[in-house]
Amino acid sequence: MLNSLLSQYTRTLSAVFVLLLIVVLELFEVRISIYDNSLSYFEWMKNSSWLGILGTTYGSVYATVQAVHLLSMAVIGGTVLAADLRLLGVVFKDTPSETVTRGTHKCFRVSLLTAVATGIFCAAGVADKVYYMEVFWIKMLVLITGSCFVFLLKQPLLNSRPHSEIHPWTLRLLAVTSLLIWFTVAATGRWIGFS
Amino acid sequence: MINELLFQFGQWLEAQQYSQMLVAGYYSYSWLEATHVLSLMICIGSLFIIDFRMLGLVMPNVPATTIAARLHKPMIIGFVIMFITGALLVYAKPVETIQSLWFRIKMLLLVLAFINAWIFNARMKAADGSWDNDALAPKPLRVGAVISLVLWCGVVTMGRYIPYDWVDCTITDSPTILWAAGCVEQLKAL
Repeated sequence: MLNSLLSQYTRTLSAVFVLLLIVVLELFEVRISIYDNSLSYFEWMKNSSWLGILGTTYGSVYATVQAVHLLSMAVIGGTVLAADLRLLGVVFKDTPSETVTRGTHKCFRVSLLTAVATGIFCAAGVADKVYYMEVFWIKMLVLITGSCFVFLLKQPLLNSRPHSEIHPWTLRLLAVTSLLIWFTVAATGRWIGFS
Repeated sequence: MINELLFQFGQWLEAQQYSQMLVAGYYSYSWLEATHVLSLMICIGSLFIIDFRMLGLVMPNVPATTIAARLHKPMIIGFVIMFITGALLVYAKPVETIQSLWFRIKMLLLVLAFINAWIFNARMKAADGSWDNDALAPKPLRVGAVISLVLWCGVVTMGRYIPYDWVDCTITDSPTILWAAGCVEQLKAL
């Protein structure tokens, strides 16, 4: 019984484990300790790493990478909208939701990878500033949560069986959660620019 | 002549009370900018999915015209919000924006993107439906999709360059750039 449960819900249990780990780390003030100790890493990123040096020396390179970051976020937006609005029954009503969610996922993965890579470059150029920004850490937290949500919960559940066998409210909940997460990632990213 | 007219128009806009209020407000300009960027995700995100489908990169098993038709509405909604917030951003800093070389290139690329979209739509309507279920769209439509991707990437990149002052009227002394950016006063001083 236990074995069948473990094998059937491996990814869900992994997500629960990650959440529990976060709670435990918070209780033992590990997060605060990591935050204090990571200052030297952020300073190294800005002043000594080639990413930081390239970003601070060549403004045009920095701005171009920022544009690529924005474009990859736009593609994430497009794929998330197409897949989640289909799950909500707003668009693509005449196309099976399995086709839309599977068809957009590869594009989502590539653009997420691009957004993360260009985001690291952008953060390296202003690492000494973003370290002190609350909104930066909120974005990182939501980004990690969003990635765990997509790869450990949403996609495994959507790929596990035909969507007609999943409760409609579960599908709607998945879609709304996904839309809220990626909207927050984009909005907090924009807010970093203002801070 | 056009540069002078645009400069005077910018000065007239800048003298208006609401223009000054938009810049002076602590959050108003930031909210406008954030909404502009977020609506860009809706508009360009939807547009890119349509272009990627033409190139066979996204949902190749769904008819291309179905994707174009279904994503048309979110794309237009995103575009309308993007256009209104973009116009308000220009209204908030009219002279600075009108005299930005990047803004001018962005507008030029936008016009080209519209012409391309118009040709693309006309070609899609003219083509018979036999290709609709193919993974790859016919060559003219694929070329249109690539041009669309390149132009919109250019629009976003130019938009990202606008806040940077590399070629601002007060910094550059190249007559060509001053003319292209519409730096009327600096050109007179040369």
